[in-house]
Amino acid sequence: MKVWVDRTLCENHGQCAIAAPSTFEMDDEGILQYTEGFPADELEYIEDAMDVCPVQAIFLKGDQ
Amino acid sequence: MTITTAHDVPYLDMSAPHFAMASEAVRDARDANWYARTNYGLAVLSYEDVSSLMKSPKLIQGSAAWPEHNGVHSGIFYDWWKRNLLVLEGEDHHRIRRLANPAFSPRKIAALGDRFESLANELIDGWIEDGQVEFVEGFAAPFATRVLCIMLGIDESEWGTINRLASTVGAALGVTIKEDIDEVDAALVELQEYAERLISDRQQNPKDDFVTRLVEANREGDRLTDPELRNLLVLLIFGGMDTTRNQLGLAIQSFIRQPHQWELLAERPRELAKAAVEEALRVNPTTRWVTREVAETFEHKGLVLEQGTTVHMFTYASGTDPEKFANPERIDLEAEHAPHYAFGGGVHHCLGHFVARSDMQAALPALATRLANLSVVPGGDEWMPDSGNTGPVRLTIAFDRRATTADGQQTA
Repeated sequence: MKVWVDRTLCENHGQCAIAAPSTFEMDDEGILQYTEGFPADELEYIEDAMDVCPVQAIFLKGDQ
Repeated sequence: MTITTAHDVPYLDMSAPHFAMASEAVRDARDANWYARTNYGLAVLSYEDVSSLMKSPKLIQGSAAWPEHNGVHSGIFYDWWKRNLLVLEGEDHHRIRRLANPAFSPRKIAALGDRFESLANELIDGWIEDGQVEFVEGFAAPFATRVLCIMLGIDESEWGTINRLASTVGAALGVTIKEDIDEVDAALVELQEYAERLISDRQQNPKDDFVTRLVEANREGDRLTDPELRNLLVLLIFGGMDTTRNQLGLAIQSFIRQPHQWELLAERPRELAKAAVEEALRVNPTTRWVTREVAETFEHKGLVLEQGTTVHMFTYASGTDPEKFANPERIDLEAEHAPHYAFGGGVHHCLGHFVARSDMQAALPALATRLANLSVVPGGDEWMPDSGNTGPVRLTIAFDRRATTADGQQTA
């Protein structure tokens, strides 16, 4: 499973970086940076980030 | 504050008695420049600049000192205000938000959609035979308050009490806060007692509901304390009731101006519910501006924004910016529009927006499928000032009852 953010939807509100700071981070300009891969115990927080995203721009993609 | 082109920068007197957001003065200012100077700091007017500055890490929420600025330096409201999520910053803010957010999950809120729709229809049943209704008293206020009762698990028959308490506390956001503060504090104590009873009940008798999810929120052993839970529940009532009530009235005002769009919603209620709510928020938001404060001096488009400067993001002006939207002041349910900022943005983005969106997505289609040919009864409307948080005080509307709903069902 990998994290994927639809940049056409992403508004850089930064709620994901509050929910799952190991995966999502806002840079000095306020632009989202994120890592696609994550350890299993991070999944819960990534799901929180997906839920809380005001524009619902965060998705999980399978490995295949 | 350095203004490089001061001679070109428009000035808006926001304290003038007839100042209005939906006015030629504001539109002209927006046409002339991306910001204006005002007697309360800077006003950001254009969509592009509201979008970027609303989420800028260089700006923080700007309302922490609201009580002091209006002569209130202590008391129940003062203490609550200083500890509520609206004004907290940094990790203090993020920690509470992290713990609280899952309870506001859109998946969890969506499960309440049918109850919101039943509530809307129950309220409409109460006056649909009459051919007219005072919409605030007959729909918007009871709907907004009973939605909160449903969320919090408070008996809906108590909505009148909750409505009265929340409205009284809401006076603390007005410029007469100092005169009203004793009543505000007394009402806040009652709301806090409600919240404490709910918290203690769910701690002893957990249910599959919103308050239980907050009470049980746990992140690596970190939990919300009882005072944090209480402050959060009070914030939900404080922030969720007046706003939803006002926004429903503003949505009706906008659709009365555009009967063709109301008919479209009536024909395709499920498909267009979301667009109806988003468009009403875009062209006629109850929150007319969102306040920020410059945390560190920086430059934006050649303007140096000095630390401590108050910056107002004008939501109505940005949502109706002709640079961004065709026919900017008109609802268009079939257009694909950029997001508006009626719920603010950035780390302080409205916590309850999924609730507000979900309940209004139930309310507007229920109204549209049952009521046609809406009009304001002459002399039947009275409005709050068009600044800050606006909406109808009274909105008496006349309508025709539709013979059948969009599903082909008889309504009675």
